Amino acid sequence: MAMEVTQVLLNAQAIDGNVRKHAEESLKQFQEQNLPGFLLSLSGELANDEKPVDSRKLAGLILKNALDAKEQHRKLELVQRWLSLDNNVKGQIKAFLLKTLASPVPDARSTASQVIAKIAGIELPQRQWPELIGSLLSNIHQLPVHVKQATLETLGYLCEEVSPDVVEQDHVNKILTAVVQGMNASEGNNDVRLAATRALYNALGFAQANFSNDMERDYIMRVVCESTLSPEVKIRQASFECLVSISSTYYEKLAPYIQDIFNITAKAVREDEEPVALQAIEFWSSICDEEIDILEEYGGDFTGDSEIPCFYFIKQALPALVPMLLETLLKQEEDQDQDEGAWNIAMAGGTCLGLVARTVGDDIVQLVMPFIEENITKPDWRQREAATYAFGSILEGPSPDKLTPLVNVALNFMLTALTKDPNNHVKDTTAWTLGRIFEFLHGSTVDTPIITQANCQQIVTVLLQSMKDVANVAEKACGALYFLAQGYEEVSPSSPLTPYFQEIVQALLTVTHREDAGESRLRTAAYETLNEVVRCSTDETAPMVLQLVPVIMMELHNTLEGQKLSSDEREKQGELQGLLCGCLQVIIQKLGSSEPTKYVFMQYADQIMGLFLRVFACRSATVHEEAMLAIGALAYATGPDFAKYMPEFYKYLEMGLQNFEEYQVCAVTVGVVGDICRALEDKTLPYCDGIMTQLLKDLSSNQLHRSVKPPIFSSFGDIALAIGENFEKYLMYAMPMLQSAAELSAQTADADDEMTEYTNSLRNGILEAYSGILQGFKNSPKTQLLIPYAPHILQFLDSMYMEKDMDDVVMKTAIGVLGDLADTLGSNAGSLIQQSLSSKDFLNECLSSDDHMIKESAEWAKLAISRAISV
Amino acid sequence: MAEGGLTSHRRDPIKSSVGNVAAHRRRQNAVEVGKERRESLVRAKRLCRVSSSCDDSDVCIENDMIIDEEQSILEAQTSSAVEELKSAVSFQGKGAMQKLVGALREMRRLLSKSEFPPVEAAIKAGAIPLLVQCLSFGSPDEQLLEAAWCLTNIAAGKPEETKALLPALPLLIAHLGEKSSSPVAEQCAWALGNVAGEGEELRSVLLCQGALPPLARMMLPNKGSTVRTAAWALSNLIKGPDHKAATELIRVDGVVDAILRHLRKADEELATEVAWVVVYLSALSNVATSMLVKSDAIQLLVQRLASSNSLQLLIPVLRSLGNVIAGDSHTIVAVLLPGCEITDNVIEVLVKCLKSEHRVLKKEAAWVLSNIAAGSVEHKQLIYSSEAAPILLRLLSTAPFDIRKEVAYVLGNLCVAPTEGDGKPNLISEHLVSPCW
Repeated sequence: MAMEVTQVLLNAQAIDGNVRKHAEESLKQFQEQNLPGFLLSLSGELANDEKPVDSRKLAGLILKNALDAKEQHRKLELVQRWLSLDNNVKGQIKAFLLKTLASPVPDARSTASQVIAKIAGIELPQRQWPELIGSLLSNIHQLPVHVKQATLETLGYLCEEVSPDVVEQDHVNKILTAVVQGMNASEGNNDVRLAATRALYNALGFAQANFSNDMERDYIMRVVCESTLSPEVKIRQASFECLVSISSTYYEKLAPYIQDIFNITAKAVREDEEPVALQAIEFWSSICDEEIDILEEYGGDFTGDSEIPCFYFIKQALPALVPMLLETLLKQEEDQDQDEGAWNIAMAGGTCLGLVARTVGDDIVQLVMPFIEENITKPDWRQREAATYAFGSILEGPSPDKLTPLVNVALNFMLTALTKDPNNHVKDTTAWTLGRIFEFLHGSTVDTPIITQANCQQIVTVLLQSMKDVANVAEKACGALYFLAQGYEEVSPSSPLTPYFQEIVQALLTVTHREDAGESRLRTAAYETLNEVVRCSTDETAPMVLQLVPVIMMELHNTLEGQKLSSDEREKQGELQGLLCGCLQVIIQKLGSSEPTKYVFMQYADQIMGLFLRVFACRSATVHEEAMLAIGALAYATGPDFAKYMPEFYKYLEMGLQNFEEYQVCAVTVGVVGDICRALEDKTLPYCDGIMTQLLKDLSSNQLHRSVKPPIFSSFGDIALAIGENFEKYLMYAMPMLQSAAELSAQTADADDEMTEYTNSLRNGILEAYSGILQGFKNSPKTQLLIPYAPHILQFLDSMYMEKDMDDVVMKTAIGVLGDLADTLGSNAGSLIQQSLSSKDFLNECLSSDDHMIKESAEWAKLAISRAISV
Repeated sequence: MAEGGLTSHRRDPIKSSVGNVAAHRRRQNAVEVGKERRESLVRAKRLCRVSSSCDDSDVCIENDMIIDEEQSILEAQTSSAVEELKSAVSFQGKGAMQKLVGALREMRRLLSKSEFPPVEAAIKAGAIPLLVQCLSFGSPDEQLLEAAWCLTNIAAGKPEETKALLPALPLLIAHLGEKSSSPVAEQCAWALGNVAGEGEELRSVLLCQGALPPLARMMLPNKGSTVRTAAWALSNLIKGPDHKAATELIRVDGVVDAILRHLRKADEELATEVAWVVVYLSALSNVATSMLVKSDAIQLLVQRLASSNSLQLLIPVLRSLGNVIAGDSHTIVAVLLPGCEITDNVIEVLVKCLKSEHRVLKKEAAWVLSNIAAGSVEHKQLIYSSEAAPILLRLLSTAPFDIRKEVAYVLGNLCVAPTEGDGKPNLISEHLVSPCW
């Protein structure tokens, strides 16, 4: 059944486009006509040591792609396809693959490893291929060395592909033993050690039981720590990556090793090559992540319970850790500020320092201040920059009481440095530090203001001046202005920025027109800052915001005038359109929020909507999202009159709801459905058939990202609230969907944090749908249509109450639904509620809740229920 | 991973471009706005029992009209009652007193009548300044009582309606004093309790205006209704999050004695309110906790736990006990000595709570035990050898998650022994290997 494919595979990599195309065609034909033969030929090619390496590699790659795809839907198809293949064929393919692990050609071995792991990922959960792990392990003790290396690599990939619960503990133990032995210093071959170390990285998730056993854990930790000292840089890097992974997976087991790990990481940070040093720093950042999470949980709770206790590793390591991190700050690269993807020791060190400050708070300040004082005025720019960077990094975490006196002293120095320092790098970091000062120490919640009438003008002047500096400095100056404006969000009626409003807006618009505004994301920063300045402005400056409307409209109009553009230019154009739509969104929200300005603004509404509709012609997802958001804002401002735009807008709404691939567009569009329902109310009706059809399709699709589904349920509620009893015809479709989603969300055993969060958002969506539908039908003669659904809704509430894992938001929505049942269905629901298992307990618990919102909903529900029962 | 372990951790640099966060926040904000509007729409629909969507149903219209009418009639009556009150306040002639009290009584009746008291209509019509005027010094008790009653009902309204009481607060506080008759003082305490319950902001206003000392003194005598109302108002007033009020309260002369006395003797209803005061005292103020520990408080709380079956009472009493034990290390080291009777009693009542049907009691009892279990080795042995151990083990396998979690803490604490310095805790192996486990 197999066939000679070498030449076709080589041709498929030919330089000549025609040859290549022809070869790709024949491969495709072969695959379509005879899949088993095709796969078998490929595996035979991969296993054959007489074949050229290029054809073997491609054969392996095509095999791999025949087993897995990024896209969930496609992936499931491929899995099914493999499982339904003839067992005999699969057996032959697997035999070829295992044989390839012994090939002298490294590329062939490595490719085979990956394919084996993919097949294992499919078959092990089905309890198939039970002998695989055993036969791999039997390879481990074999010479030659390259077989050992390939086998370890395969085990590593296998652990990456397969979930721990499908591998029995006995196999896990043996895999770990093999891997750790391979890492051991007694293993003479570096390739084997490297493969073993990388395999361990993937196998760590399997090692729960082993990490709970002191002896086994000690052994694993010792081997990992030893291999961080290997002479081979790649092994050292891989070992530190293991440590990083251990720090988050097994934080609570680290106490006995932390001192040793500190010594190892400190040495690596100071002396080792960059990739290794970066991982060593990352270890401490990761510990900070863990402790910040734990301490946050401590803080939030009455009795202060967290699943894992805090060991205060950072606090203990502080006197040694901080000096080590401060040293890294002096290792800047010359051009890191211009390069958006830059990542080096200095950047990682400062990032870690920031996390340390958030972990320990006040304690860090006295350890960092001497470094700042020592370096901030030095002639070498590196020292001045490092000092400034250190200061900026520790502004989040310590208390304002501790920081404010220091900032009061530093502020003037920073403002001077931003204008006078000869070095761009220093200026960049200075502007960023000012932004951090404003972000964390300026605003209505701060007791002692650091910005006063006396220095406000100077700050604005310096920032506007710096916006004329080189692009990266100007970008940071915009950022500082952003947080300066944000701090005045809550002031009214008069903002200290009012006197400078016109000047600020002008300066930001000038920045957007700079030739080099495309560098360092300067244009984006300028527009987002303009948005924030507008958003936080007060009524005094409303006339100036109004004047901004035609200006931004004109900018948007200009981008739509049809020149022929290269694809590169088109991309930039799209980015600009997105920014302008974003800006209009904020302006519309601002002006729509008060009657007088809304009235004046409405004269532009037709034209603005016209521009948005033209923007949809552009093919960029980001632009569609931004235009949708702006249209949502416009719908609110316009109210029922938005109906006149619907005939034209509807097709784009539908397009957005169909956009599975760019699911963010779909999510934003679902939000806009809600906006439109609230604006149009019953005038939404003519569009509801189409919208509901699309939403129901979205829900039944397994291609659509799951995060979009809860908001879709909420939008059912929005639609029902808008069209009331006319929702009748959708009940037979919507209710079963809600019901099965409710059942799904009630089973929450073994969920991790992420899953719990998703479950709660799903429940919230479902409950909002129920509330909307019930309230939509209230007082209609058709309420009896809902009675058959009431028992299930009550069951859903019961089951959530029993599980005891609702968050506050869900609890509030859920108790509201209980009230809605009573409110809409009256005595029909009253008796059901009285009979239900836990309604009474649930209501009582909510009535005595500390959460104001829950209590309020509960009080209303109580009233509704008592009315329903008394009827 | 194929190309050399490039799964490397790479986090976002602390120094990043403002554009990244800003666009994200803008989107979040749009989602939030949608959410808020959805919620306010649902709230409006819930409160409004009249819907425009039932135009074609006669029955419905009729119903709506009745409800609509009831509500609007009530509002109209309220407005005219306020007008009446206005003229009564300025009326100087014969029978002025009766006229004023009559107008106040009508007002109070309207404000107490419906599930939806016409608070907004009353405020809009200008009731507050008139009621404040009626509270002026030297007014007859009946007038003060009715005025304070009206204000109590207004204070029970929505948050912004409660805030409307601001101008009345100084006088309500003034009437708490010893010179007032007890019905008047109680009514004023009630109104102030409603205000304090509304939120932190109003609490701090009340504290600044000196509401605490007179309310505290109202707790000293033995008159049940006065003490109950005062205790309820105080528990609202010292809720925090600032702990200063709790400390201030415990330092008022005689308060500790009064609390102990009420805990010892009062009926369950009164003891419940007093216990809530103890809950907040012990949760927020270290000073209060240590004073309570040094008194008979623990003993009294334990007696209450042992003798009562009222859930209303047991919850605050148990929480108080837990706070006292968790809040002051002295409690475990010096009071709950192993071998003392009190210690055995504590364990006994906690076992009672663990056995109870009620979830909150089980959970909080386990929490209290976990703190005791964190004490000395003797404490651990005591719990371990008590009836608690088998119950805890059973709960660990059968109870809902939140209880299991607390239970796991107890068991965990039972199994490790404290060590000096920073060494890691030692396992108490005798529990673990003991044959009965």
